[in-house]
Amino acid sequence: MGEHKYTGPIAGIFQKMADMIGKDVYYVNFLILMFFTLFEIAAVFFETIPGTDIEITRTAVWAILIIVGIIKGYGIAAFFMHLKGDPFIYTRTALFPVLFVALMIWGIGLSNPDGIDSLPSWCTPNYDYSYVTE
Amino acid sequence: MSGSLHDVKNSVWMKTVMISIGLLFAGITAYAVLAQGIGTVKHHEWEDAHHVLEDVEADWNSANESGETFDNDAFDAAWEKAHHDDVDAHLSYLTWSTAGKTIMVMFIVYAAFYGVAGFFNSIQPDGDDDEHHYGEDHEEHHGSASPILMAGGILLFMMGFPGFVVTCKSWLGLDYDPDMSGFMLSAIGMIITIMGVGNWWNEDLKGYPEQIATSAPFEGQDIRKAGMWIFLISETMVFASFFSSYLRMRTGWCTQWAVNDGKCDAVDTFTASDYLRPGGATGTGDFWTLLPGGINTFALIISSYTIVLALKVAKDVNWEPSKNAVMARLFPTRQKTVRNYLLITIALGSLFIVLKLIEWSHLIAEGFTIDSQAGSIFFVATGAHGLHVFIGLLVMLFMVFKADTVGYDEENGQGIEYFGLYWHFVDLAWVAIFPAFYLY
Repeated sequence: MGEHKYTGPIAGIFQKMADMIGKDVYYVNFLILMFFTLFEIAAVFFETIPGTDIEITRTAVWAILIIVGIIKGYGIAAFFMHLKGDPFIYTRTALFPVLFVALMIWGIGLSNPDGIDSLPSWCTPNYDYSYVTE
Repeated sequence: MSGSLHDVKNSVWMKTVMISIGLLFAGITAYAVLAQGIGTVKHHEWEDAHHVLEDVEADWNSANESGETFDNDAFDAAWEKAHHDDVDAHLSYLTWSTAGKTIMVMFIVYAAFYGVAGFFNSIQPDGDDDEHHYGEDHEEHHGSASPILMAGGILLFMMGFPGFVVTCKSWLGLDYDPDMSGFMLSAIGMIITIMGVGNWWNEDLKGYPEQIATSAPFEGQDIRKAGMWIFLISETMVFASFFSSYLRMRTGWCTQWAVNDGKCDAVDTFTASDYLRPGGATGTGDFWTLLPGGINTFALIISSYTIVLALKVAKDVNWEPSKNAVMARLFPTRQKTVRNYLLITIALGSLFIVLKLIEWSHLIAEGFTIDSQAGSIFFVATGAHGLHVFIGLLVMLFMVFKADTVGYDEENGQGIEYFGLYWHFVDLAWVAIFPAFYLY
């Protein structure tokens, strides 16, 4: 707890930041989660980047929400849930439902007859939906 | 939750009964102050604001009927202001009223779990009958029947739940016929559930050796930890089903986002984010409407951190009080520090529930109800998440009691870690729910 030194390309950065400020990785992770949550809300709250005329487009908001979600998800799972320090079997266990989640999102979530018209072709199931619209 | 064995006198359990009385008193006080006190004042303000709106409309009607010439722009401005004040006063009333009612109901449930579990345990024979000889064989199965008892209680509770709801509604003076058989079935189920939980708490408070998995793939790992992760897998699937449903519906709706992207012509669906975020399609969203969701996000992140701190302190054999006088007073000993971090986590989780229900009451008042597709998926998904938070709070109540009595240390601190996994998962689910339902 706390004394464990994290290594690796991403966890190593967290560890270096923790060493720099003389705190543990949990504290650094907490600060990063707080910062990105603020960033996420600000991206939706402001129509332009404060102090500039640069518009925050919907694509940008989308990108921010997804990227920030991934960063926050990593921070919580890796450090707060200790996946980074625990045996790899726990990471494999945590990743196990990803296949099913992906299938649910792809097979159910993206199977809306209107949805497939408005989604990129690469995520359109190769299936004849004509029966739905008949 | 385990790792070391404790001789827990049943008199200790009477402490929970006293605490439950305190919780009940606190809940009723919160209701009296917030819902009945401030809420009544706010209700009067709302009535006044509504009368002003009615007066403006009556003036317009009488001027219209008498054929008088009047300034349309001035009327529009007056009506806009009166309507705005009316809505503001209504939402302000709902804020206080909902907060008071929510705190009271939450504290009654806290008190029920604490009181019944405490009383149930305090009337049992003293716990000196180590018939299982836990200390002798580390491979021996814990063999608790409590989860089965609890599951049976939940089954009965759910079977009678529709009757329970209509009976409560009839008691509140609403136009429903009471269903006493359903109510009784549900009440018996609730009591059995609490007894199951109480028995589980009793077993856990005494402690038992951690069981270690002896075969692949978790060989050498704590069985409870592996079990918790497998439970979290199933939870992931539950929330994934909400997301896939939401995605399926969302791609078929013509929302303001879809119109702006040229995917359809006329808005046919308002989502929760249309009501909540600034610039949303309904025009009701501003800083204040997004604030409860924002605070809740921060509350969950902070609570995730406080539970990590509780675990860290519990495991830290070299723990020393802070040199800062305020911190030393707040966290004087290792045992009290663990307890206080858990209490902070409970406070933050309770804040989450209160703000969530205030936000719901505002959305419903503005017409975003469960009757619509957008409303149903929003309320079901965020409600299921809120239920997970609330269940976590009930578990944490026991952990506070344990931290305050037998205490957590390096021997049994993993109980906090395993519960922490659940709590972090709830935070993780919110990381996905918040942007999907509130910001997008």
